[in-house]
Amino acid sequence: MGLLDTEFGKRRLLTVEVPAVEAYNRGRDPGFGITLNRVGGALVLSYQLKPCHNVYRLETRLLSSYPTVPPETRVLTPLKHCAHLLEGQTMCLWRQGSTRAASRWDPAQFTCVFAVQAAWRWLACYEVWHETGEWPLPEAK
Amino acid sequence: MHLLQVGAGSGGIVVLDLVARDPRVTRVTLVEPDTYKPHNVYRHQFPPAAVGRLKAELAAEWVREHRPDVIVDPIVADLTDTTWGDVFQDFAHACDVGVCAVDNEPAKFAFDALMRTAGKPWTLGEVLSGGIGGWVHRFVPGGPCYGCVAAHLRRNVTEEAPAPAPDYSAPGGVVAETTVPASRASIAVIASLHAAVTLDVLATIHQPGANQSVGASPPFPPREGGPGGLGGSARRSTPTGADAATPPPAPPPEGEGSKPDFSSLLFTLAVVPGVFDAAYRPYRFAVPRAAACLVCAARPAPTGEELDVALDDALARLGDN
Repeated sequence: MGLLDTEFGKRRLLTVEVPAVEAYNRGRDPGFGITLNRVGGALVLSYQLKPCHNVYRLETRLLSSYPTVPPETRVLTPLKHCAHLLEGQTMCLWRQGSTRAASRWDPAQFTCVFAVQAAWRWLACYEVWHETGEWPLPEAK
Repeated sequence: MHLLQVGAGSGGIVVLDLVARDPRVTRVTLVEPDTYKPHNVYRHQFPPAAVGRLKAELAAEWVREHRPDVIVDPIVADLTDTTWGDVFQDFAHACDVGVCAVDNEPAKFAFDALMRTAGKPWTLGEVLSGGIGGWVHRFVPGGPCYGCVAAHLRRNVTEEAPAPAPDYSAPGGVVAETTVPASRASIAVIASLHAAVTLDVLATIHQPGANQSVGASPPFPPREGGPGGLGGSARRSTPTGADAATPPPAPPPEGEGSKPDFSSLLFTLAVVPGVFDAAYRPYRFAVPRAAACLVCAARPAPTGEELDVALDDALARLGDN
């Protein structure tokens, strides 16, 4: 069920993800839109976010198994190490437990733009943490 | 009848054992990537001496011992591994019914995509954390997908006690919700229900002239006064009290004996404050297709080469200039 090499994946891209990205880009300042590029069997979204004071460059990778498997987002701009940052500056975003209640990524309701918005929220939390030492999301320790 | 099953864990092996014994089953394809580990012994059919062996092979041997006439194809692979996509597609098209007995969300969505693309009915069993109860869902072509069902149940049913807050300071650490194991008895109850529902689906397919009828019409219209009616409500409900339970269905009219009257069946096994107010109680849910579902809602799109061209154009438009 590859994203770029099956009818299922291509239809998902053309009818769900591409329109969502185009809606996101519409009217946005140059440099802050999303660009989409094929990299092997994956599709990579490249973009910048400015949640508070700083501008960050990011990429969100839609793997071949997307949308069944959640997207992976990493920050390209060097960050101070924090507990919510995984290897390669990948954001700790989608905890996938063994049940519906314990899982956060939902391919039936989320698009890749939701992952971009989640990254924005993560970076906003990062900036607060950077200043105060406290991660402000209530559900995270 | 050809059964395609994914998952041969403590629940999956029970479903497989009960369904594969049915004389209508002539072939089983089993997808399971894991190895039998010491902690599996307490809840599994296999002996401690089998630790270290592949579950797919153990399960295949189990079936062959009890049904030597059945052809069994064990596949040691992860269902979300797209390098196996073509193989899985071939088996999905060849099978008559699917059984999903996995305990992770990506694999459920992957199996849903596989079976929907192939146009085959399938069933899913889920034991709730701590063994307080469990779900059995059945899916048919043209009916709601797993995404529709999951979203509906998330909004309308409290099915688990609140989990402790995740600890992001230890992303590789133990996830709290997996530390509440279900007992073998509770797993066996839900798995047996899962097997019974699967056999019910098999019976539907097996009826003369009924092969395509499984998904021929909107299969699970919401029932007035039943749990399906909760779908229009903004409130989040627990399946407690009489309002959540569908009354026992009236006997079906002549000739309609196999028409399913629910998409999801919840069976409670314990009293849990705020979640279940009674043990050993069934609830039926007729979940409708969600118009906004990103997985199964119909969206016009070209096909074949035109689809490739349209996608190439879109990616060129959105790519780096």
